[in-house]
Amino acid sequence: MTVMRLWICCSAMWTLLGPKRDSVANDALGTEPQGKGIREQIRRRFRRWVNRRIPPAREVTLNQRRIFIFPSRVGFFFGGCLLIMLIAAINFENNLSYALTFWLATLFTVAILHTYANLSGLTIRALRAEPAFPGQQSEFHLMIKRSKRRDHFALHLKWANSSEVLVNLVDEDSVIIQLQMAVDNRGWFSPGRLLLESTYPLGLLRCWTLIDLELQALVYPRPLISKNLPVLATNTPDGAAAFVEGNDDFNGFRGYRKGDSLRQVHWKGLAKQQGLLTKQYTAYADRSVWLDWDMFAGVGTELRLSHLCYWVLEFDRRGEEVGLRLPTGVIEPALGEKHRDRILKELALYGKERQSR
Amino acid sequence: MSTLQQIPRNALVWIIISLFALVAPHASRLPIWILALYAVAVIWRLQVHRGRWSFPGRWVKVVMILSGFVGIYASYGSFVGLEPTVALLLIAFALKLLELSHRKDAYVLLFLGYFICLTQFLFSQDLLVTLYALVSVTVVTTALVAIHRPGEHQFKLGTLHVASVMLLQALPLMIVLFFLFPRFGPLWTVPIKNHTAKTGMSDFMKPGDVASLSQSADVAFRVKFDGEIPVKSALYWRGLVLSRIEQGVWSALSFYDLPANQLRPQEVIIGGEPIRYNVIMEPTQQRWLYGLKYARSDTRTVMQASDFRLFSPTLIETEFMYTVDSWTDVPVEETLSDWRRTTETQLPPTGNAKTRKLSLELREEAGSNAAFVDLVLDRFRVEPYVYTLRPGLLPEEDSIDAFLFQSQRGFCEHYASAFVFMMRAAGVPARVVAGYQGGEINPVNKTVIVHQFDAHAWAEVWLASRGWVRVDPTAAISPLRIEFGLEEAMASEGSFLSAMLLSPARYRSIPLLNLLRLRYDALTYRWQTWVVGFDSERQFNLLRSFFGETTAKAFAILLLGSWALVLLPVAISLFRAPDIEPVRPLAKHYRIFCKRLARLDLIRGAGETPSQFAQRVAEEFPDYAEQLWQITDLYNQLAYADAQRSAGNAAQNLQHFARVINRFRPKRRSAVLMTRAER
Repeated sequence: MTVMRLWICCSAMWTLLGPKRDSVANDALGTEPQGKGIREQIRRRFRRWVNRRIPPAREVTLNQRRIFIFPSRVGFFFGGCLLIMLIAAINFENNLSYALTFWLATLFTVAILHTYANLSGLTIRALRAEPAFPGQQSEFHLMIKRSKRRDHFALHLKWANSSEVLVNLVDEDSVIIQLQMAVDNRGWFSPGRLLLESTYPLGLLRCWTLIDLELQALVYPRPLISKNLPVLATNTPDGAAAFVEGNDDFNGFRGYRKGDSLRQVHWKGLAKQQGLLTKQYTAYADRSVWLDWDMFAGVGTELRLSHLCYWVLEFDRRGEEVGLRLPTGVIEPALGEKHRDRILKELALYGKERQSR
Repeated sequence: MSTLQQIPRNALVWIIISLFALVAPHASRLPIWILALYAVAVIWRLQVHRGRWSFPGRWVKVVMILSGFVGIYASYGSFVGLEPTVALLLIAFALKLLELSHRKDAYVLLFLGYFICLTQFLFSQDLLVTLYALVSVTVVTTALVAIHRPGEHQFKLGTLHVASVMLLQALPLMIVLFFLFPRFGPLWTVPIKNHTAKTGMSDFMKPGDVASLSQSADVAFRVKFDGEIPVKSALYWRGLVLSRIEQGVWSALSFYDLPANQLRPQEVIIGGEPIRYNVIMEPTQQRWLYGLKYARSDTRTVMQASDFRLFSPTLIETEFMYTVDSWTDVPVEETLSDWRRTTETQLPPTGNAKTRKLSLELREEAGSNAAFVDLVLDRFRVEPYVYTLRPGLLPEEDSIDAFLFQSQRGFCEHYASAFVFMMRAAGVPARVVAGYQGGEINPVNKTVIVHQFDAHAWAEVWLASRGWVRVDPTAAISPLRIEFGLEEAMASEGSFLSAMLLSPARYRSIPLLNLLRLRYDALTYRWQTWVVGFDSERQFNLLRSFFGETTAKAFAILLLGSWALVLLPVAISLFRAPDIEPVRPLAKHYRIFCKRLARLDLIRGAGETPSQFAQRVAEEFPDYAEQLWQITDLYNQLAYADAQRSAGNAAQNLQHFARVINRFRPKRRSAVLMTRAER
């Protein structure tokens, strides 16, 4: 009795929420609630209820536990039109007008099943989220897979403050979509519950789900220039020049590895169809730079991280090796994007929870 | 959100189709300029779509709306009434198209479309009209589906499938609701239709009126008898009593002509088993009803007038069904009131002197009123009177004299009118009765179909102790007309439905066509009884016959039960349907490619990679090598290299792949070998 459960669930939700749909949606999407009192309590309850009902997961397949359905505003408008038609049928005592009115009313009922079916069986998988600096847009990559049974139309996806996407799943088994969303503070950014909705096929009913995809974007500290260049600490444990991969003197080629700086790719070679090669340079350990937590004495934690972030980016831009010493750990100097990202991550998560959920 | 809410081209096309589908059944009722407005609106909207023109500005719209109102007033002379109201709706519908830019406009437009579909039924609930309405509802629903399919930039007939499936699934429950929903009277009065353009009887009659009516093959009403159908010659369907003659025109007395003590019909003592039958009237826009004398009806909304005819207090605007009991042998109005006697013997003071003279002579000769009637009828029989649909024109003055003594050619109304005139001239109370005579018996369902061409006029004479007696002078002149109908009576003249070349009734002599016509008529009858004429009374009987005494509980169970019964199969079909094969469009296109190669008698082996296959084909048919490799390389690239593709690009690549494959059309193996041998 899918239908019955559907309806019970809907009516339960409706009584729980009252008619202010937008505020409910926003709330479920994770924006901070304002105001207190009963409404606040109701929202908290609702969030708990949704969390119980649709627990967070990397991949969610939609079924009747996760799909909500209720007449859309257009549906209510249609209902009003049907009422007018019914009154016309009664006043003109016209049986075929009755028949038409009932036909459309039943169509409304049948549309419940079809609207529900359009969402049912879809699988949404969180792929990845691009790291970003505060104020920038992070890009969230999601994959939507079709059910085995049918085509899906007009799937509308968005987070509370993100861009929105409208996709069909007709000629493909799956699509990958990107949603952009501005991120704010350093650390793991959680976009909240994703709203996936559709009113297909008739627009009379709105079928939606709110899913928490456990997808978090890493937000780096905001890079802020410090007044003075910090005193550079050098690390020459034994004074000997050690061979490390660096970019001082050209040393030879090796195959491209993921994470190598694009600046060191041998582009001319690529043009000559020799494949992706990375130029290797000999660098000396004494030219490597250590960035230290203690360099910015007397400055607050966040600002300190911002300064560190700025200098990491700056040295990376210059192509110099950089290492990081934080109270929580040490990263040896090295080069390359991968290394830089590792340091930025370290800075981003300083004093925060390490693991994304 | 706004860009996501735009209307796909497919939807626009469907909306325009539904526009035309909805206006078509109203077209004959509309002034031509409204149809022109539709053409303008559609062209304008299409030009907007193509980016040539822009949407009309606010003032243009205001001007259009105002001129719409002015136009309606100019065409109909009023805003009251059903026709102008519907015309206004249709104008709004066309103008809304010029505003159609977002989805919300489309909703307004399409829901208005459903309503316009309903207005169609206010004019006719005919079976064909209904079938057509099915089509237009499907088209409107298709448009509704299409606006929810973003990215469809081409017209797709397939959208129709979704809408039809949903509408079909909705059909059973609609039928349940139709029969269960309680019927009650109107909540308030509604605009009525204009009273024109209906063929049928009118409440006055001048020479030539009935004759012109007999050129129409429209159905006037259908009758179903409970028992045996009486002989045709006894079927005198009494509709109107015309008691007043002024300037050669017979007319009915209106309600206000009657003195207060004459308003109620005299009590008639009934005896014996009545003939019981149902009549379904086609809409007439009039009030009178038809029945065999002496008729009584137990249908609530049927009343009896003081001259014993049946009528409805409201206009018959839609098909109307009523039940009648008739006692054909009982005397009616055995004692005649003075007022009645004066009224029914009144003639204009002057005119038709020859007729008056003849009448007095004959009355003298006869001795009694009854003998006088026979004498007049004998005269009609003996003298060379002709029963014809082409009587020729009679002068305005002394027209009865001219008819009786000079032309002697006439249709039923001439004879009835002359007969009554003669009766009254001799002081015998008499009146003209207009109605229908006979009817066609449909062997399929044993109904009597009464057509407009069965229209007839006859006389009633009041005779002491017998009351009003029916006298039909036409029967004296043309017995064929009464026994077999107009077609037989006019066989030698060839004037039956001579102007109606396309009327199916004209081709009754062709058996197959006739059978089809009668079957369709039987279907119409059933349609009218069960659907159009379904009312609270029938509903009550239906429910009782199915479920015994209905209680509120049984009613609720029935409603919910049927709800579940209908929706469950739909749910099962949706959620337990067999899995469809996963769509791999790439593989689909490649299969087409392999199918084409099968013409060269080359089949790809199991486990053979596309490249190996291409190799094998290219070796045997080097002419095709270039195309083969192009396709195979593309396939490999799409299948393996572009695994991490984004949605948009993939679609483009696929289209390209499909195009390349479409261009590849190898000849048959034999043909290729032949050309090779020639070389």
